[in-house]
Parts: sequence; C-alpha cells; structure tokens
Amino acid sequence: MKQVLSLNINGHDRDVMVSHEDLLVDVLRDQLGLIGTKKGCGHGSCGTCTVIIDGEAVLSCLTLALSSQGKKITTIEGIEKDGALHPLQQSFIERGAVQCGFCTPGMIMSAAALLSHNKSPSIEEIKIGLSGNLCRCTGYVKIVDAVEVAAAKMRQLDAAQKGA
Amino acid sequence: MSSDERELHVRGLSRFIDDHCLPGQSLYAAVCSSKVPCAELRSVDIAPALALPGVVTVLTAKDIPGENQIGAIVGDEPLLATDHLRWIGEPIALVIGRSDQAARAGAAAVVVDAQERPAVFDPREAARLGQLIVPIRRFEKGDVDAAFTRSATVVAGRVESAGQEHVYLETQGAVAEVDGNKVRIRSATQSPTGVQRAVARVLGLPMSDVEVDVPRLGGAFGGKEDQATPYAALAALAALRLRQPVKLVLSRVEDMRLSGKRHPYSTDYRLGLDEGGRILAFEVTYYQNGGGAADLSPAILDRSLYHATAAYRVPAARMTGYSCRTNLPPFTAFRGFGAPQAFLAFEAALDHAAQATAVPRHELQRRNLVVEGDCLPCGMVLSGARATETFDDARKRFDLSKRLARIANHNACRPRLVQGLATMPVCFGISFTNKILNQASSLVHVFTDGSVSVSTGAVEMGQGVSRKLARIAASVLGADEALVRVEATSTTRAANTSPTAASTGADLNGMATLLAARSIRERLDALSKSASDAPLSFSQAVTHAYASRISLSAQAHYATPHLGIDPETGAHRPFAYHVYGTALVEVELDTILGTYRVTSVKVVHDVGHSLDPGTDRGQVEGALLQGIGWVTCEDLRYVEGRLASDTLTTYKVPDILGAPELEVVLSESDNDRAVMGSKAVGEPPFIYGLGAFFALLDALRAAGARLPEGEYDSPLTPERVLTLLCCDGNR
Ligand code: FES
Ligand code: FES
Repeated sequence: MKQVLSLNINGHDRDVMVSHEDLLVDVLRDQLGLIGTKKGCGHGSCGTCTVIIDGEAVLSCLTLALSSQGKKITTIEGIEKDGALHPLQQSFIERGAVQCGFCTPGMIMSAAALLSHNKSPSIEEIKIGLSGNLCRCTGYVKIVDAVEVAAAKMRQLDAAQKGA
Repeated sequence: MSSDERELHVRGLSRFIDDHCLPGQSLYAAVCSSKVPCAELRSVDIAPALALPGVVTVLTAKDIPGENQIGAIVGDEPLLATDHLRWIGEPIALVIGRSDQAARAGAAAVVVDAQERPAVFDPREAARLGQLIVPIRRFEKGDVDAAFTRSATVVAGRVESAGQEHVYLETQGAVAEVDGNKVRIRSATQSPTGVQRAVARVLGLPMSDVEVDVPRLGGAFGGKEDQATPYAALAALAALRLRQPVKLVLSRVEDMRLSGKRHPYSTDYRLGLDEGGRILAFEVTYYQNGGGAADLSPAILDRSLYHATAAYRVPAARMTGYSCRTNLPPFTAFRGFGAPQAFLAFEAALDHAAQATAVPRHELQRRNLVVEGDCLPCGMVLSGARATETFDDARKRFDLSKRLARIANHNACRPRLVQGLATMPVCFGISFTNKILNQASSLVHVFTDGSVSVSTGAVEMGQGVSRKLARIAASVLGADEALVRVEATSTTRAANTSPTAASTGADLNGMATLLAARSIRERLDALSKSASDAPLSFSQAVTHAYASRISLSAQAHYATPHLGIDPETGAHRPFAYHVYGTALVEVELDTILGTYRVTSVKVVHDVGHSLDPGTDRGQVEGALLQGIGWVTCEDLRYVEGRLASDTLTTYKVPDILGAPELEVVLSESDNDRAVMGSKAVGEPPFIYGLGAFFALLDALRAAGARLPEGEYDSPLTPERVLTLLCCDGNR
C-alpha cells in the first residue's frame, strides 16, 4: 500500500508516493532523481548514502522513507549556497581529496554534519566524524586535510559575518 | 574544467552506471548463479521464475546467439554455464524483470538441478591433481644449485598470502540498449575493447556493431579489467533479445560473492647468502590459486615470476609457477598484478635470513639492492636504477637509525604497547607483460575557437589520467589547459584499446596524445612561418589554419619500443623501465589484546618528472593503504568454496581511523622511457604497505613471541596476532 510522504528536501517541499518498506536512499535516487546520494553497499557499512536529516548525518540506506515524514533533508545537491560551492566542496577539490568520486558526496555530507556541530574539530574528531565513510582510493590523508581547511575557512567566514 | 571531473563529483552530478536509467526507463537483469562449487549441471527449470509477477523473461546458455565464451586468454569461461558448474557464483541464467526486485526474486526462483562432484580449493592439491590452467612456468638464471652449495647461510620456508577483495565503491554494472542495428553498452570496465570483443563474440556480431562507452569508474584497481565483461555481455544479450534497455548492477553482496579478487598464493622459498650477507641464490615456487577459469591468471603469474627477486640483486635464481585451477570464483587482476605476492615471499625469505644471521633486516636489504647495470633474472638490464638512492634518501631523511634506537629503547622495558619498524624497498617494472598490449592511440581535434577534444582508450577511474592527458595536449599544442576536454572512452572514438591497467594508462595514451598534438602543432607552426613575422597566438593560428583549409585533427599511435626478446643478444626485456622507492613503516602492538595500529608511513617515491604531483601523491597514499589492508585487516575467508566474508562488515578494509600518518616525498629524476619524462605511479606504491607485515613481525618478536620459523602467513589480522602472542608462554 502506497501512501503520501511529505518531505522537505534541500529547502523544497516534495510529496512522493511510497510504501512501508521503501528506503530513503531509493526514494531520493529513483523517485526524486537525486543521484548524488550513492548506494555503495545497501547495508549501512560504506557511508556513500549519507544525507543530513534535521542536522544529523544519517545513512539513507538504513532509513525507512516514511520515518522522514515532515523532516528537513539535505543531500549533496543541496549544500551549495546561492550557486557557490560549499567550503567543503571547494576544499575537497583544492586539496585533491577526490579520486574516483564515488565516496565523495557521502564524505562531504558527514563532514558538513560534523562541522555544523563542531566548528574547530581536532584531527581525531574529524576522523571519528568520518569513520562511517569508506574511501578505497585516497588513503584518507587528503580528506582529513580538506575538512580541516574547510573548517578554517568557515570560521573565517563566520567571523567576517559577525564583524560585518 | 572538462578534463577535471572533481567539481562534478563534489556536487553529486557525476553519473556512474547505476545513476543511468532510473526506474521505468529500463528493464532490470539479475544473475542466477551456482550454489555449489563443483557439479554436473543436469537441468535448469526457469518456469518458477517466469511465473512470478514482473519477470519478463529468463535467458540461459541456449539463448546465446553467438559463441558462449568470454575467456580472453584461455577460452574456458562460458558466459552462462552449460554442463558443468565450477564455482559458487558461476552464472547459470539471467532473469529480466520490470524492477530489480522482480528480477532478483526471479533469479532466486530458478531451479537448478546439479549433481555435486568433489571440489578442490587448495592450489597445491590442484597442482598435485594436475589441474593447471596453463603449463608450468619456469625460468632460471645462473647455476642455482652450485650457488646454494657455496652459500654460508641457507634458509627455506613457506609463505601463504591470502586474496584481496577490491572494494571499489561502485559495484560492477552495465546498461545496454539496442539503437537501430547497433548494440550500445555503458559499462564500468577498464577494458572497453575487451567488452566490445566479448559482446560481439557472444552475440555473433561484428565488433563494429557494438559500441562500448565508459563514462567513468567508481574505483576499479584491476577488478574491472576482465571482470566487468560478463555483466556487460549479459546486459547486452538481454537488450538484444528484448529490444529494450537493460540494466544490470550488482548489489554489494552479489559483487563480493560473484566477482574475482587478488590471487591467494602458497609459496615455497629457499634463499642462500654468503658470510657477508650477500645473496647468492634464490629459489621460489608459486602455487597460484587461479579459481575456476583462467581470467588473467597466466599473465599475473608471469608478473610474479618477473618480480620474484623484488628489489634485489640475485646472481642465481630459479622461479617456478603453477597456475592452479580450483573451485573458487576466478581470481583476477588487482593493483600489483602478481607482484605483491612475489615481493611478500622474497621479503619473508630475507626476514628469515635476517633472523638466521642476526643481521638486521634493513642491513640485508641495503646490501643486496639492485644497482645500475644489474641484469635481472629475466634478462633485462637495469638502467636508471634508483633503488639504493631512494633507500639511502629515506634512511637519512627519516633518520632510520634514530627511529630504530628509539623503538629498541621503548621496547626494552617490555611495555604493553610494543613497536616495530620495517623498511620496504620497491623496484617495479612498467609495461604490460603481454607485449601486444603496449600500444595506444589518441584522436585529437582542435575546434575553431581553440578548444580541444582528446579521445583515447584511457579510462578515468580516479587515477587522474584525464588531467595528465589534458596537460600533455595543452603543453604540446600551446593551448589553454582549461579548454582541453578529455572525452570519456568510447570504442567508436578509440579502437582496439588496451585495458587501462598495469599503471600504463598515462604512459601509453599520453605518448599517443603527445604525438597527435605534435602533428597538429607542426602544421600550425608551418603555417605561421609562411603567414607573418609576428608569432600567432594559439587561437589565431587555429583560425588561420581553418581558413587555409588545413586539418585541425590528428590521430596518432604509440607502441612502446624495445620490448621483448632482443634478436641480437637474446636478452628478454619485459619492461620499459622500473619505478623505485622506499618506505619506513611503523606499528604499535597491544601485547595483551593483539590489536595494533600502523602509526606512521614515510616514503621516498620515484616519480620521474611528475605530470601532476598532487595526483601522483594521491596515488601513492591510496595504494599504500590498500597494501597495508592486504597484509593486516583484509581477511578473505571461504568455507567449502563459499565466501564467508561477503559484506563490508565481515570483510574489513582500512577505514579512516586505521589510516596512518603519512609522509610522501616525491623524488624526481630523468626518465626518457615515458611521456615527458614522467613515470607510471598506480601500482608500485602498493608494495610499501607490505612493510606493515614485517613491522608487525618485529613488534611480535619484541613482545617475546616465538614465531614459527620459516612460516609466514598473511594477513596478520589482530586475531592471528593474538594467537602468535599466545604461543609465547611468558605473558
Ligand atoms: S549504501 Fe548506505 S552505508 Fe553503504
Ligand atoms: S575517491 Fe574513490 S572511494 Fe573515495
């Protein structure tokens, strides 16, 4: 039995028809065409399907779509602001934290959730924040580096805004 | 930004195979595969599957219009099984459904009647039974027996190295459709031509009727060199039959169960040294577990033999290799392609010798490294050797003696956390060992506005080959790099391509691109000379050339010179050149829990003149963590031929918490054997990771563990480390 699910995705209200067993990752990808959210394992152990729900990083492959009723969801497609790349997106490019790119959206979403709670994470905290996300290409060095750089940039932007 | 996909990736806009054909736009295919490792296939009943809602059709071997064969080196791999089943996971039938759930339910409903036969999983047993994929490979240099007789120390033992799952984050998949009378396949493959050839063969079509497009790969590491082919061929088979787009994407568990992995090897070694610790003789026998079909096993075994002596000078050597047919899924290419198994075995022998002679392992390593002019057992004479140079650089730069003293001090009082350090030198040959594959072509178009399009067979999988090609084209043409687009690989634009593999993607395709760009540049130069005194900008020259009706396109072909048997000397030269480097790998081991961390890896790596230092550094970092994973946490387990470690929770790859602190120093040098003085980078750094194995052995010894002499089992999982610690009795 399908029912209507109302979601707020990347700032837009969307209604979709889903059944009880539908997973959020499939609804995002198949029904809403938000293919930036990847499905690397489908059982909660790679992190490529990470999205942000009400401020928290969540694995959308372990989330029943219906449980997101009325919640605010941000996917990789929704973190740019006014057409400009998010500082994390920028730093992932600049620091060479992207190789094949398959883990990248999930990594960035986990990092974004981390930075929204902790503006100056230590290296250890960054690693813990990203520990649910696998990357088979990079060896992680440049990913940690990119998150540090983005955090610094975001602190600067914050300070500038407060100063203004 | 066209040659740089990173912006697409960070915005979530890059489409991988599974991002094409969303529901409603295609049919879905799922594979029904063997549940038994060895059997006679009596019958396949598809009726129960056809009766399910949403199942469109079921295809078996008899539905194949062409030849039921996809084996590239040896013709021993039917696309769909006929009368024998040879491994768990061997494809038997293909179920096509309106949704992937329907297709998978159909695949589960197919009834297979099979009479089980005794299966063989152990390569040594297969060798005993004469089950070899190709005849024994053997070659020899010098008088090995005499050299052993002269040796002051002789050690002998056995090395077991386990397989390794690729864990590319994008699973295997393909989407096929029939467009008029052409079959078009979007495949996640490193071998577009390999897929094209196999599909043409299976469908009974000329290769010109089959187009393979490879937009990008979400990681591959060798796992999509041959192993992407069956899924592409199956999707194509269904698409041709049904005249509708068909998508076949494996789930993670399916991928882990069905697809091939790095070969497990069981290896016997014998090493002889003189009183001064100089190697005199080496003998090695590899039992390669090839699985149930040849795949790339023979070529992989060849590379093991070529790298049998690792980074060392060995005056007399005898190498023997058995490629053994067992009832496991066919093992395949994985970064290093047989070399890591050979390096592990040689370094184990050296470790054994270090124990026997009480000379530190790094001393033995240093004394025996290859030097300029050395002749490898295969007959290749080294030129541009940098083994000692990079070793000494690493030793000094990272202060090896101070580190060793610090560790000895730390370990002296038997703390709970003991430390270990290993040096790991690399000497890695670059070229496909199959000489034919060392060729590539490039098609370069310059458009009238000065933008450029480059098409080659180099598949982008994150290794940054597109950025390198763009840089080469831009610098030769004098064009703006940002205006050079490196196209996704398509068999229509680049024909007869070699796989993007053996670290040669940039070398071969880069050289072909350089030649194509150069011929356009020469036309422009000739024209500007006759046209005016003032030098023309690139775009002015292009406009002028077009107006003068001069071609702005070129295609060029490159074949690596001087490979193969020298007709005069008879010397064999399998490689264009070698890549060198040395790593220092440190670990810390908890002597009570058996858990450990790789704490730091410091590397000096030989890059020639790097085309893109950031990319090369990234390749070194990623490869060495894979190498660490192979010898530590990645524990591939089969139970009676069934993969037990078939999820990412039971098969652990290094995560971010397990990633060590890394320092990579790129060491430049001249190299006249590759494009613009660069060197290949993909595979060699994998070997650095093996240092973790030996660092752990040292830590175990420091903890007082009595390790079994001459027995080396990889990976050293925490579980195994704990067992080794417990052998000790003192703790
Ligand atoms: S797809 Fe959700 S964690 Fe892997
Ligand atoms: S960049 Fe390929 S998995 Fe992370």
